[in-house]
Amino acid sequence: MTELHEHHTAPARTGIRRLTGPGWLRVLWVTPIFFGIGVGLPVLIRWLAHWHPVWKGSVILTVELVTVPLGFLVGIGGFDYWAHYASGRPTVEDDHSSHGAKSWRDYFRVNTDHKVIGIQYVVTTIIFFCIGGLLAMLFRAELAQPGDQYFNPQTFNVLVSNHAALMIFLFVIPAFAGLGNYVIPLMLGAADMAFPRLNALSFWLLPMAGLMLVAGMVTPGGGPSAGWTCYAPLCSHQPLGQVFFNMGVQWAGASSIMTALNFLVTIITMRAPGMTFWRMPLLVWANFTTSLLVVIATPFIAGSQFFVMFDRVLHTHFFEPGGGGYVLGYQHIFWFYSHPAVYIMMLPGFGIISEVIAVMSRKPVFGYRLMALSLMAILVLGFSVWAHHMFVAGMAGWLRVPMMVTSMVIAVPTGIKIFSWLATMWEGRIHFTTPMLFALGFLSMFVIGGLSGIYLASVPIDIHASDTYFIVAHIHYVLFGGSVFTIFAGIYYWFPKMTGRMYDERLGKLHFWLTFIGFNLTFFPMHYIGLQGMPRRVADYAGRFADINLFISIASFGLGASTLVFLYNMAKSWKHGEPAGGNPWRALTLEWQVSSPPPIFNFDEIPQVVGHPYEYGVPGAKHAIFGAPKPEPVGTD
Amino acid sequence: MSSHAEPHEPGAFEHHGPPPIHYSSRVSPAVLGMFLFIASEIMLFGAFFTVYFFDRVVNKPFNGHWPPEGFHRPVYVALINTLILVSSSATMHWADTSIKKGNRAGLQAGLVLTLCLGATFLATQVIEYHRLGFATKDTSFASTFFGLTGLHGAHVFVGLTILLVMTIRAFRGHFSPEHHHGVEIGGIYWHFVDVMWIVVYVTVYLL
Ligand SMILES: [Cu+2]
Repeated sequence: MTELHEHHTAPARTGIRRLTGPGWLRVLWVTPIFFGIGVGLPVLIRWLAHWHPVWKGSVILTVELVTVPLGFLVGIGGFDYWAHYASGRPTVEDDHSSHGAKSWRDYFRVNTDHKVIGIQYVVTTIIFFCIGGLLAMLFRAELAQPGDQYFNPQTFNVLVSNHAALMIFLFVIPAFAGLGNYVIPLMLGAADMAFPRLNALSFWLLPMAGLMLVAGMVTPGGGPSAGWTCYAPLCSHQPLGQVFFNMGVQWAGASSIMTALNFLVTIITMRAPGMTFWRMPLLVWANFTTSLLVVIATPFIAGSQFFVMFDRVLHTHFFEPGGGGYVLGYQHIFWFYSHPAVYIMMLPGFGIISEVIAVMSRKPVFGYRLMALSLMAILVLGFSVWAHHMFVAGMAGWLRVPMMVTSMVIAVPTGIKIFSWLATMWEGRIHFTTPMLFALGFLSMFVIGGLSGIYLASVPIDIHASDTYFIVAHIHYVLFGGSVFTIFAGIYYWFPKMTGRMYDERLGKLHFWLTFIGFNLTFFPMHYIGLQGMPRRVADYAGRFADINLFISIASFGLGASTLVFLYNMAKSWKHGEPAGGNPWRALTLEWQVSSPPPIFNFDEIPQVVGHPYEYGVPGAKHAIFGAPKPEPVGTD
Repeated sequence: MSSHAEPHEPGAFEHHGPPPIHYSSRVSPAVLGMFLFIASEIMLFGAFFTVYFFDRVVNKPFNGHWPPEGFHRPVYVALINTLILVSSSATMHWADTSIKKGNRAGLQAGLVLTLCLGATFLATQVIEYHRLGFATKDTSFASTFFGLTGLHGAHVFVGLTILLVMTIRAFRGHFSPEHHHGVEIGGIYWHFVDVMWIVVYVTVYLL
């Protein structure tokens, strides 16, 4: 149906104008100019200020990692509108030529359509998911037996650090941003996000950040091996690749702040008439709280990465004890972001699960308001627990018990959510589709991860288990069994909406079971070897752990292989899948009330929301009506 | 969905755009966006204040001397600079109220004055950096000094860039009593930068 919604596009550019118009050709010549600026600027300043040496590699590299991505963004056209505005010319009515996709090429340019951006995000993040997974399999190969086989300890730690960084900053966080991007405006009954150009720009920062992290690994002199936590002062004395890491995190962080800001403004100002806060789908609620977390917390990791980078490049002493710096300050600042980041990586998943479970159980969400309020409770409590990562770091002793208590209290709102999902399924007519299987897999695995989390919150157990494989097991039960399962659930659930075609259900189920079994075989034994005292982030280990590590390594390759089923299913179904129709799940939320894929501006008319989004099985219940004679004005709540 | 069944005339899609936007809040998206951005900026400054706090209060280096012996902060130059920046907030406010009343000359004069005052502030800071007698590599005192003032200087630079754009547009006659969003939003940012400076000045120079 999309062809009905075609619109004017700008006339095709010819000759020299192809070089000056936004796009990859312009990238080719603008980026080198910015590269030159990146060399020239620091050299000029150092020369004017009489600093020696005038040529300083680490300084030039740091500046390059700002200017080269800027050059790319200028080239591809991320700033065109603002440049036009800044030049003082009159603003023109948007001709929507940068909106929507008619061929695959439109996914490779600056596109302001939130649906295109959502798909750009999801596909990009899956690529980085695969790279991160391959890194994990590489170091699992090393760990298959004790001793040094393939990698020296330095390279091993590079692999571990980048595996974590890619999975966190380039997969889990932006994958949620992508799904949210696609779904939120549709769910709200809006034609697009509040700031479509900012949205496009924040997507294009992401591949930059990812390439930076990958480039850091292969930098001459060695990659960053200080772990994804990048603790000071170790991090300031790493090989040059560390600077790539620091700046990559900055770009990914900037991207996620911009997206969060966009989500918040969209949710507050762009709701359809009748869509009050208490009528919003829980996915929207989840992204609302997550975005608040991002806006408040992410600047702290930006700060922390600036400090360790300045300690290296400008020889400051933020965390260098020799010059009056305070080493532990880094960990406080870092975890003040990175504990809330745990919820940034989980709350949108909670939202997805609420959608999937309600629809697939054909029942209203149990305790809808409590579900939304518990998200808010997690948001607030999430800022009061950061030092539980520092029980063994030598921080002030009096901080331990309060942080232990708050960490345990945060299990209460999380528990409320778990019981709400269970109660939603209770006596429901459950459809065991692939998204539902992943939702159930998430529920069971996240409970295990949550329980080991409560263990780790208590100071004595944490002291015993710190920096062992028990931590690795815990983090993967919440981040893989938790977040990644919810991402898969979301991708399968909205695949028909995004592509207009149904995925292969048999392959989907195969993917689920392979992932579920491979995941448990890989990570469950880590609880055991962790408690037995096997330390994490070390390439070699004691001979008594040999058998179980071989088992884990083999299981991890199986887990990696299960992703191939997913990729094959997605590629095949996107091209040849059964046409899905507008609403294959018979869902009530607004994104399912339009065609699949939706029209270019989502709705031909803005719907009128008249009821709650989850009234499944309630006779006569309606979420929204289309073609209402006259929308009533909505209150501003 | 309903419209898919509608008969489709050739040329009907010539004017096909998005449906009219329904705003569900009285706050304009751009103003709300700017306030959220400022919230995020405050947290970034918060990270820099936190590291300052850890380095100075928790760590207590240099036998309790802050600044360490031999280091001197140009308190009075910075005070004059503070007055310059605060007065630039007043001129910004003048520009903003002028355009609301339709006084375009007032807008232009206000913006140009703000721009000049802001540029003076930044230039003074650069000269001050040069004459301080210490550099980033000298102790955590210098690190936090350059960290906070440098972060703020970067914000002044961004603010000046926004002001420059607004000035260009003001002289091209783009703003009117009905349409002055750009001035308003740029103004909010500039006031934020000024208020932030007062906090930075008190912390870094006076305490
Ligand atoms: Cu934590």
